[in-house]
Order: sequence, then C-alpha cells, then structure tokens
Amino acid sequence: MKLIKAIVRPNMVDNIKEALGKMNIAGMTVTEVRGHGRQKGHTAVYRGREYEVSLLPKMEIEVVVPDPAVDEAIKAIIGAARTGEIGDGRVFVMPVEQGYNIRTGEKDVV
Amino acid sequence: MAVHVGQAELRVRQQQALDAARGELVASTERGEGGRQALARFSDAVDEILRDLVEAVAAETGTPIAVCALGGYGRRALSLHSDIDLLLLVGGRIGRPEERFVKALLHPLWDLKFAVGHHVRELDDFDRLETDNPEFLLALMDLRQVAGDRALFDRFDGILRASSGHWHPQILDALVTLTDERHIQFQDTLYQLEPDVKDGPGTLRDIWATRTILKLAGEPRAAAAVSAPDRLRDAEEFLMQVRSGIHLDMGRNVNVLSYELQEKAADRLKYVGPDARRRAEALMTDYFRHARAVTRVLGRVRRAAKPVPATPIRLIGQNLMWVVEGITFADMKQAAAFPVSWLRAFEAAASRNVQVADEALALMEREQEANRHAPGTFLPTAGDRHRLMQFLRPRQGLAAHLADMRDCGLLGALFPEFDEISCRVTRDFYHKYTVDEHTLLTVRNVERLLDHPRFGPVLRELPAPELLVLALLYHDVGKAREGNHSEVSADMAVPMMERLGLDDHAKETILFLIRNHLKMSRVAFRRDTEEPEVVKQFASLFSTEDHLKLLWLLTLADVGAVSPDTLTGWKEELLWRLYVDAYNQMTLGYGDEIIDRSEAAAQLRAGRPDDISEPEIAKFLEGLPRRYLMLFTPEAIYRHVRLSRDVTADDAHFFLENKAAVWELTVVSLDKPFLFSNISGVLSYYGMDIVRGHALTSLTGLVLDVFQFIDRDRFFERNSQGRQQFDRTLIDVVAGRTDIRALLKNKERSVVFRRAPLVRRTPVIYFDNEHSQRYTVLELVADDAPGLLHRVSRVISEHGVDVDLVLISTEGQKAIDVFHITRGGAKLAEDAEAALKGDLDRMLKESA
Repeated sequence: MKLIKAIVRPNMVDNIKEALGKMNIAGMTVTEVRGHGRQKGHTAVYRGREYEVSLLPKMEIEVVVPDPAVDEAIKAIIGAARTGEIGDGRVFVMPVEQGYNIRTGEKDVV
Repeated sequence: MAVHVGQAELRVRQQQALDAARGELVASTERGEGGRQALARFSDAVDEILRDLVEAVAAETGTPIAVCALGGYGRRALSLHSDIDLLLLVGGRIGRPEERFVKALLHPLWDLKFAVGHHVRELDDFDRLETDNPEFLLALMDLRQVAGDRALFDRFDGILRASSGHWHPQILDALVTLTDERHIQFQDTLYQLEPDVKDGPGTLRDIWATRTILKLAGEPRAAAAVSAPDRLRDAEEFLMQVRSGIHLDMGRNVNVLSYELQEKAADRLKYVGPDARRRAEALMTDYFRHARAVTRVLGRVRRAAKPVPATPIRLIGQNLMWVVEGITFADMKQAAAFPVSWLRAFEAAASRNVQVADEALALMEREQEANRHAPGTFLPTAGDRHRLMQFLRPRQGLAAHLADMRDCGLLGALFPEFDEISCRVTRDFYHKYTVDEHTLLTVRNVERLLDHPRFGPVLRELPAPELLVLALLYHDVGKAREGNHSEVSADMAVPMMERLGLDDHAKETILFLIRNHLKMSRVAFRRDTEEPEVVKQFASLFSTEDHLKLLWLLTLADVGAVSPDTLTGWKEELLWRLYVDAYNQMTLGYGDEIIDRSEAAAQLRAGRPDDISEPEIAKFLEGLPRRYLMLFTPEAIYRHVRLSRDVTADDAHFFLENKAAVWELTVVSLDKPFLFSNISGVLSYYGMDIVRGHALTSLTGLVLDVFQFIDRDRFFERNSQGRQQFDRTLIDVVAGRTDIRALLKNKERSVVFRRAPLVRRTPVIYFDNEHSQRYTVLELVADDAPGLLHRVSRVISEHGVDVDLVLISTEGQKAIDVFHITRGGAKLAEDAEAALKGDLDRMLKESA
C-alpha cells in the first residue's frame, strides 16, 4: 500500500476526484493548505498599494492505494491536475505499513 | 392484606406486567403516540410493579420505609429504557433488617433489567439538608411517593417544605450553573445536526429546568415571562414522542437523534414529503422550532428569576421607557393597540446598544400570535419605511435585535417571505443551522466585518450598506419553495421591495445580490482564478464596483454562516484575491475591451426609439469600452446618442438631473486637452462634491463624461437662476471663452473651500502597465477635497498626457480616481511617469 499525497490547485480537486473515481478509488482526504514551491507567489496591487502574496492557497489530497494501482493513480492525478503552468503542484508517494477500518476493526488486505 | 407469594411466581407475574407495559408503550410509540400520556401510563405500570414488590418484601423490616420516585420517574415521564431513580426513605436507623429490605427490593428490579439509581437515607439525615449536593436536592423537586409508609413520606415532605426558604435559593443558583455547564457540552448551541433530545439545549432537560426555576423562584415576574405556556407543553410532547422512538429503535437508553433515526422518526410521526430526506427535514424543522421556543422561554425565565435592583426609569419617547432590563413600553395596553410602536422599541434599543426587555418581547409575541398583523400595520408611512431601512444599517448588535424580532414574531410579520424559512432545515453535511438562523448569522458576520482591518473599510464606505443586510435577509428565502433558490429568493424579494417603496437602484442591487449570491464562492473555490479569462468573465457580472464590493462582503458573510468552521483563512484568501483581481479588471483592465459595431447593434436594437437609427447607435458606440454597456441602461444610452448629435469641437451637449440624493451631469463633447479638468473645475467652482463618475472616450474622439455630485451648499435650491448660471459657465469654459483656473483662484483661498479631512492619509499614486495593453493606468487614492479632481486632471494634462477613461469614486473621505492615460498614443515611459508622479505629489502636498 502507498500513501499518495498531492498538492494541487484548488480548482483541480473535482477533476482529480473524478479521475480517481474512474479507477474505483473513492476514499480520499482533502485539506486546505497554503504554500509555495517554485511558484513563489506574487504581488497583488489593490488601490495602488502592494500586497505580498507569498503563500498560495492549495489543496492537499491524500489517498491510500494498493501497490499495483499506484502508477495508474499517479498518472490520473497528474493528468487531471496539469495546466502546464508553474504552480500545478506536486505528488509524493510514501509507503503505508498497515491500514484498519475503525468501524469493523478489520485490517486492510492488499 | 399482604399475601405471601412464592418468589418465582412473583417474578413471572412482574415480568409479565412489565412486558405488557412495555408492549403498550412500544405500540403507542409505533403509532407516533409515545408522548406524555404513554409515558405516564408506563410510569404507572412501573409503580404497580414496585408496589407489588414492596408489599412482598415488607415483612423484612418493622421500620417504616417510604419508596419514592425521583427525576423523570418522579415526573411520571419514564421512557422505555430510562433509568429509574428511587429514594428509599427509612423512618429509623438503617440496620440489617432494613438492608435486607433494600436488597430484596432491588434484586428483583435488576432481574427485570431495570437500571436503578437509588438513595437509601434515614429521615434524620434531613434534619439538616446537605446543600453541598445540589444534584440530589434538585432531584427532590420531583419527589413522589410510590409505595411504603405514607405517614413517613408526609413527615419528610413537611421537612422539605419547612426548609424550602433555606435550600431553594441555593439550588436555584446550582441549577443555573448546571444548565450552563450542560449547554457548554453542546457548544452552547441548540443547532445540532444530530441532537440529543434529552440533554441538548432546548430539549427535555431544559423544559424541566424552566419549570423547576419557576417553582424555585416563586416570582410572578418569572411566570409572566412565559409568554405562551402551551409552547412548553407542545415541545415536551414532541420531544417525548421522538425520544420514545429512539429508545425503541436503539433498544437502549440513548437519546441522540441521528440522521438515520430522523428518517424513522419522521415516518413514525407521519410527516409527509416526496422522499425520506424531505420528511426528515420537516421533522427537524419542527424539532428546531420547539427547541428554539424552549430556549427562549428558559432564557426569559432565568433572567426574570433574578432579583432586579431598583433603578430609575427613563422615559425615552412615546410610550417607551428605558429600564434596567432594556427598552420596554410604559403602557402595555397602548403598545398592544399600536403595533407601529414595536419597531420603535427596537430602534430605541439599537441606538442605545441595549436589548428590548423580555416583558415587551413577550407582549409582542402574544399580540402577533393573536392578531397576525400584516406588514403594512407596522409601516404605514414612508417615514416608517425609511426608519426600517435605517434600522437595518450594519452596526454592532443588529443581528441580536433581528433574532429577538424573529422570536417575538415581528420579523416574520414585517417580512412574511422570511417567515417561510423559519426553522427550515437544509439536510446536508455542510449546513449546521436552520435557514433562518443561518440568515441571521450572516448579519452577525456583517457586524464582525465592520471591525475587520481588510473588510471593515470597504463595508463602512458603502453608500447604502442596509441593502446588503436586506439582500442577506432574503438571499435564501427561496429554500422554502421549489426551484432554483437564488431565482426563487429574488422573486420573493420583489413584493417586499414594493412594500418598502425602494427606488430602482436599490431594487436592482438587491436582486443582483440575491441572484448571484453563490457565484463568487463558486468561482473562487472551484475555478482557476489565475486564469485571466476567468477573472474577466467574473468581472463582467458587475455594472459597478459597488456591486462587486457588496457581493464580496455578502459572500464572506454567507460562507461564514454555514458552520463555525466553513470560512477558513484559506477561503478568505481566495475570496480576497478574486475580489482584488476582479476590482482591478473593472478599474484598470477594462480599457482594452472595445464595443464592436455588430455587437452594439444587436444589444440595443430591441428597444430602439423611432428617432434613432441602427447606424446612428452603432456609430456612437463604436470604440467605447464594452463596460459602457454595463454601466448604463438602454434608455440612458439612447439619451447619450441624442446628445452626441451635431456636437462640435468647442461645443458641449449636456443635461443635468436631480436624482434623489445626488445630481447627475452628463456631458458629450469632442476630445481636447484639459476638457475633463475644465468640466470638473466648473463643478468645483459651484461647490459641488463629486462622489462618483466616469469619463469615456471613443476611438473616434467622442467624449462622454458623467458626474454624480452632491450640492452640499444647496446652490441650485437657493439660487433661482443657479441652473442657468451653471449652464452658461460650463458652455463658456468648454468653448474656451472662460478660464476656469482664474475663476477658481479666489475660491481656493477661501476657508470654506479648504475643508480639512477628519483623517489625513498619505496619498497613493500608482502606475499600472500590466492590466491594459493600450493604457498606462494611474490610480490615485487621497483625502477627498474640494477641487481635487480638477487639480489632478489639470496636472495630468499639463504633462501632455491624454486622458481617455476616468473612474471617479469617493468612499467616505477618501477619493479613489483611476485614469487611463496615454502620451502620443502610447503608454507612458518610465521617466514620464516619474515626472508626472513628482508633480502630482507636490500638488497634493501643497493642497494639504
């Protein structure tokens, strides 16, 4: 099992959800985050005054997928979240040792 | 006579009795009749079982013992799986025989699977009441003898009564504290998506607390505060029925009305609706109505139970007085006869930052319920309607007053459309509150925005912020009916706006806000706002910057009222950025969007008057910014077309109109240097305060200037020839026959002309070369001052700079002017910008 963590543009969440849904990956955790990568924000000007916008609003999506589905899930996320511009985001993949269903107490089988 | 019965036979008999009683309660509950009477019958059946048991074990001791019910059982409100709380009162010392009695009594009860809470006490224990155990003393308030020695119980009852003067006040305080602590466990709000119908705010325990306070306080004022005792009884009946259903469905003593159980309860209580969700919503609507009524009565009773210090009474108006509890009526009968005075009470309370007193609220509630006054009763004159609009201006405490008005029925009477969403539930995982509560929370959020460093200045500078409040009050009323709720809400607002006699501008603003109240959050949270086209499209929604500001503030207030956690800093940031980008698009970026011939003809063909031909319209519009079509109605555009006929270089065609609070001057001319500066100079010369305006230049050199101004010194009113004088000056100045600078020279020296602003701020001069491909955009924010626009535009023209487009706005004491400028047909070079900035800075400093 792997934990895929994707930092994406806020408006891309629905696309990603749909793309993963097509792979029958329904469960995900979505968190509002702020940050910057190479896209280090910019200056907003309002009524002649400059405002530094250094941390940009992003969404963090976490999804746990079985090992065989990892590559396809990553492709789906990247395909759904890409605009080709700076600021599209990042995808990280981490190993997951075990998972349990709290309601039933059952261990995830992968 | 005691009859000896074998233990096994007794147990079988009692199990059968209990099964029969439970069976009856289950059947009643299934029929949706698990309320007060069913619970009383069940309690009586348990009484019988207890009496039977006590009789069977009485021989264990010769000491008199009284078996008493406490708590819910004492009130004969035992639910299917409730605990039974007992007090075993012993009329002597507790020794082995008495212990045997207790065991012999309790063991069969446990065998019957009762959860028993029991106290075993000697009568002598009560010689001095333990006031350090308020929960036990509170339980004694529902004491009822079930079995055993009657004389002993009567002695005990006598002791309690005799000492009530000592312990009642103490447990009154304890009850209030315990109630507060219990409410805190529920975040102190009755708005729970899955409420606990026994302990949650506004539920059964609060009904008990209310009645107990009334008993303990013995205060007629407290009793008077219960405006409608039936409300409590109705709420109790409803909650008992629901609770019985929960016990039945869950098979144990739990009281949380979960989502799943809401659907079952709705079916059991015979709610109708097209699907399970709608039926559950109807059930929860009733739940919240009851919970709110209970909360209101408990609050009033609590306040009324407190002794009130004698304070002076201040008469503050016709039949209104200010007492320690707030604003009330001097003569209740007179207030009942004149409902117009009710709104006055709220106005008086709002202006003094106090509440309307409970007794006045109770009177309004009773009277409105009895008479169902129509909106017109409260607003018979234009003056009354104007006062209502003033009352709705955002200020601290407004939402609390509106909530009081809602609770006493006045808000629903003034706005019957709002009444339709009273306690209305939207059943999803986002909305925590009922629709009306959500709506009032949006108003509270507007109050909070007032003090916000980023949003407050924008809100405070709006010319008519009461329109924001009115739009918020109506933005969700459509949820009471079928269809797209934004559209339905707008339709429902129309009769209200007619009743209030709002002008066209106000109507248009309110309808715009209601119809579009979801648009900004959708774009900010779901679209890529870094995409210029998205911002451009969003900005095209708005005819004026004020509409954008209003929608932004409305969105912040609306999202923040969905639940306490919905408006995160993250979402606030997204909304702020979209606002700034759209504002910049509207003020800095609109110059590149030009109307083309075919588009203009198509848009204005429909209502074209006979005297204007299609080619004439097309020619007039060609090369004007597309924004022009948003700024003006077709009627205004046709008037502009007529004004443009035969205009020559030294000529200005114009008209002047009085539009309620402001005057509007519309000038059509051909472009030439200093034109804008000269026209604004004429307005300054006559002492006019320019509050907003536009200057637009078409590619063909036609100039349209529209100024809205306030005639603060009432020049036109005081001078019968004032209009003609003004017209002559304007014509002469545009033609070059009169030098406006010379006219203004003397005036600028006068003290009146040099009104100092209340707050001095450093002027901001900013050049933007990003938003427009054609123009350098100069944005200037400075203290507003007479003649400012004239002086600024003159400095610009003196630099050989052409001014093609100008946006003028004034927010409070701040002037915000945006000029789209070029020199020699191109954007300004850096050195030209620096030179212009230097001169503008100098001029502004000298003016200050």
